[in-house]
Amino acid sequence: MKEKHIQIIGLLVTLFYGVFVAWVYWAAPKSIEDASIKARETIDRATSKARVMTNTYQVDQEKLAEGLTAFRNENFIVARDLFEKADKEQRDPDTQFYIAYAFYREGWGRFSNDDELFRKGLERVNRVIRLDEDYKSPDPNLSLRNPAELKNELVEGLRITAADFNPLKLTRQRK
Amino acid sequence: MDQIEDIDDEDGGLEIEGELITSEDAVNGVGDRSDVVIRTPESSLSSSLSGDDSTGSENSKFYIQYVFIPFVFLTVALLGGLRIGIADNEFIFYRPALSCLIFASLLLVLFFRSRLIKLEGWFSEEFSGLRNSANGAVLLSLFFASVQVFNSLIPEQGLPFWVIGFCFLWTLWNNLFSEFDSRTLLRSLGGLFGFAFVAKYLVLANLVAAGNGSWLERIWEDPGREAFTYFLNLPLFAPATGYIQFFGLVFYLIGLYFLSPLSIAMAEAEASRS
Repeated sequence: MKEKHIQIIGLLVTLFYGVFVAWVYWAAPKSIEDASIKARETIDRATSKARVMTNTYQVDQEKLAEGLTAFRNENFIVARDLFEKADKEQRDPDTQFYIAYAFYREGWGRFSNDDELFRKGLERVNRVIRLDEDYKSPDPNLSLRNPAELKNELVEGLRITAADFNPLKLTRQRK
Repeated sequence: MDQIEDIDDEDGGLEIEGELITSEDAVNGVGDRSDVVIRTPESSLSSSLSGDDSTGSENSKFYIQYVFIPFVFLTVALLGGLRIGIADNEFIFYRPALSCLIFASLLLVLFFRSRLIKLEGWFSEEFSGLRNSANGAVLLSLFFASVQVFNSLIPEQGLPFWVIGFCFLWTLWNNLFSEFDSRTLLRSLGGLFGFAFVAKYLVLANLVAAGNGSWLERIWEDPGREAFTYFLNLPLFAPATGYIQFFGLVFYLIGLYFLSPLSIAMAEAEASRS
């Protein structure tokens, strides 16, 4: 074998083994079985990142549909989980809008709102605005189809004002 | 293309075997440098004695330099931060502290100063890009292995981390201004690493106690050890950690043993010159 062939083999061995060592320290598996699980996760993540870079990224339609069913059945925790799995890279404005909406609906209360859920919803709706400034949800079942409206609802929900003590507020409806 | 055979120099007995390249051949791309072999009497004698397996031994030299040595050093890099948890034998990977990178850089400077590695023998404008890259990969693997050796030998946290880290810094800094030959440096490093290994994996590891029983029970049974555990604040690992780190250190020294001061091509060029 020629010198340069051995040099190429050496470079490849060093590169692959070096990447493997770096990956081990990054993933920090707890056992051999854990290493194989984390390797699969890393490959999945790298694949979806590559899809984003090549503009071939698509949400998992099956999981999105399951998530929508759970969302309409008011099972918001399951819905959010399915939406997250459908859009692993958080790139699809539709899915992100549904996640924000799920936070809003779950956090909404007649007497008081869940601030933690509202804050998370606000984060997601901001993401939707970043992804698509002119986004409008195509779902006719949603009362708030524009991210700005949903954002306003979440911001108002987080704020404590004199209007919050108005007894007529108890008659308001969730959107 | 004319064949040239056996031009014998009367004084030195120099034998040139090759082909005369005409301008026509050059245009056709014939006449690679590898076609011309300059053979001295000694080399031809040795090749005839060894049954003409010089290509095989050269190949094995290249395999050692470009495949075996990086593999050994990267194995050290893999093992250097590995600890085994005492509770359920899980893997714990400690990333190297910044100080380990600084110590490894100082160590490489020491290698260059003591001529254990001659930088000009590993990188040259005359080398091809591939050879320079392959040589760079070997030295890069040496650097990562050195980082992880320090990661392995310096305690993970607390006062011992600072004390042993300071001792390493002191020694390396002093060595930077000393005159070393490569053999003395290797001996000195062997002693330094051996001492640090004993300090961490035999002395300190036995000073800290695994938590059996309640706190009061442990103080009653062995107050000294409990006090050391409290003051040293060191994490506890399974005994397998010491064995892994021992082999990691041995691999590092094996890698250093096989590492030549010059890359193979340069060493051969120097040998033919001399």
